[in-house]
Amino acid sequence: MPAVSHLQSTRTAYPDDIGVEVSNVTKSFGGDESRVTVLNGVSLTIKKGEFVSLIGPSGCGKSTLLKLVAGLSEANGGSVSINGKSVREAAKDKAIGLVPQSPALLPWRTILDNVSLPISINPGANAGRKLRDPREILQSFGLGHALDRYPAQLSGGMQQRAAIARAFVFDPEILLMDEPFSALDEMNRDQQRMGLLDFWQSNRKSVLFVTHSVPEAIILSDRIVLMASHPGRIAEIIDVDLPRPRNEALYATDAFRDLEGYVRSALRKVMEAARV
Amino acid sequence: MSDTVATAPRRNSSGFTVARIVFDWGPPALTFVIVAVLWQLVAINNPYVLPTLDAIGNSLASDPGMYWANLLVTCQEVVIGAGAGIICGFLLAVAMSELPIVEKAVMPLIVVIMVTPVVAIAPALVVAFGFGMLPKYIVTGLVVFFPMLVNSLAGLRDVDQKALDVFKTLHASRWEIFRDLRLPGCMPFVFAGLRIAMPLAVVGAAVAEFVAAGQQAGLGSLVTIAAAQANLPVTWASIALLCLLGVLLVSLLALLRKRLLWWSDEDVIGR
Repeated sequence: MPAVSHLQSTRTAYPDDIGVEVSNVTKSFGGDESRVTVLNGVSLTIKKGEFVSLIGPSGCGKSTLLKLVAGLSEANGGSVSINGKSVREAAKDKAIGLVPQSPALLPWRTILDNVSLPISINPGANAGRKLRDPREILQSFGLGHALDRYPAQLSGGMQQRAAIARAFVFDPEILLMDEPFSALDEMNRDQQRMGLLDFWQSNRKSVLFVTHSVPEAIILSDRIVLMASHPGRIAEIIDVDLPRPRNEALYATDAFRDLEGYVRSALRKVMEAARV
Repeated sequence: MSDTVATAPRRNSSGFTVARIVFDWGPPALTFVIVAVLWQLVAINNPYVLPTLDAIGNSLASDPGMYWANLLVTCQEVVIGAGAGIICGFLLAVAMSELPIVEKAVMPLIVVIMVTPVVAIAPALVVAFGFGMLPKYIVTGLVVFFPMLVNSLAGLRDVDQKALDVFKTLHASRWEIFRDLRLPGCMPFVFAGLRIAMPLAVVGAAVAEFVAAGQQAGLGSLVTIAAAQANLPVTWASIALLCLLGVLLVSLLALLRKRLLWWSDEDVIGR
């Protein structure tokens, strides 16, 4: 597979190609008696420009892990760094782009003003950064006709696409996406998935993507991190060595189906182990 | 990546047809006509219970300058008193939501004052501040202060957590979060508070005037004096004007809300 080897050769060209480093992170909630360990000794590295998906049964702490990397929650043990800096420093530099589960657009702002928001917030961190033109980025997300519309006037899929554009517009180092398509119906979801795939393939960024969907994880990712629950931990990291650029046609290939079968059975094993 | 717009701008295709006007205005107009007829029936047969509607109209028409002057005084109390109460209530809500210590320190006192009937405070205020306008401003302000405080505080707290997460990952300052998220987001609650406060403001002004009736002008004062003289046309004409003032305030508010807060309504109509 030539595309893969090409990818790896560009990666190894950078000596400091580590985007996110999660090392031995532990997180628990509650007091002494009712203490629940949500993450136990989780270590994970995301390279620059790498797309990594987190998948696992509910309660495995995948959203918690994303929150830790986003700086929205503090780990009890271990460390998280983004480009060698602490999460706090990275947030100060506006290095983190977040796409939450719901679009969370501001209903009183137009789509254009919503997508422009990250540029106007914390403007001190804009220096020396390749800010994108909000109009252009909305154009490339197929929302060029909706610049002056308000969120409530758009479909759920379009709102979520605007939320993704909002995360890309200020050129962050890492994008964190928390099941961004889970609220959409299946057909819409696949369309948005492909939209994200297209955009990301021409704008490589590190991505940490939480999902429930095995096909979604495979078609988008370079690696899939399979998590187990009670306590939340990494069960297996699966390389997705399918050629890029990818498109819908990949779904129908034997390589895709084989991998899907493999991920599903790995997922089943994890869930059965949890039941015992 | 092309899909259709989910909610196309919805327009009233029928426009202003006669049928539409009759359908929209007919039922409430009918209600008013029925009430007016009943009123007249009672008034004609019981002149000491209600004045006839034409007697009220005649009273208004015979001395419009007197009514206008009193209306202006009450308006002034509402604008200044309620304006101050609204601003203070909102600012205190902001302080409480930004600094938990303020809420902790002030909330018990607020509750104590809130359960004290303002009507009972009014005479005491007149004793303290005399028969001038000041006690009237204070009473009117106090009446609107609490609904504004409580609603604004609820609005400032009711922030979209996912949007707040986005702001936090951008390392937004507290000011930026307030300016771009909390402040616009709390406006539907502020307007709900204003919707309660506006009619209360008229009540507050009238009550404050009752206490010091005759010392100053104002419609509430006029009601008290005319009632004492059993002058029913003047009494009811003043009440009608108070009612009109309340309706006017609420209507203005609804207009303002429609202009500013159309985005918070269920179905957003394209502009």
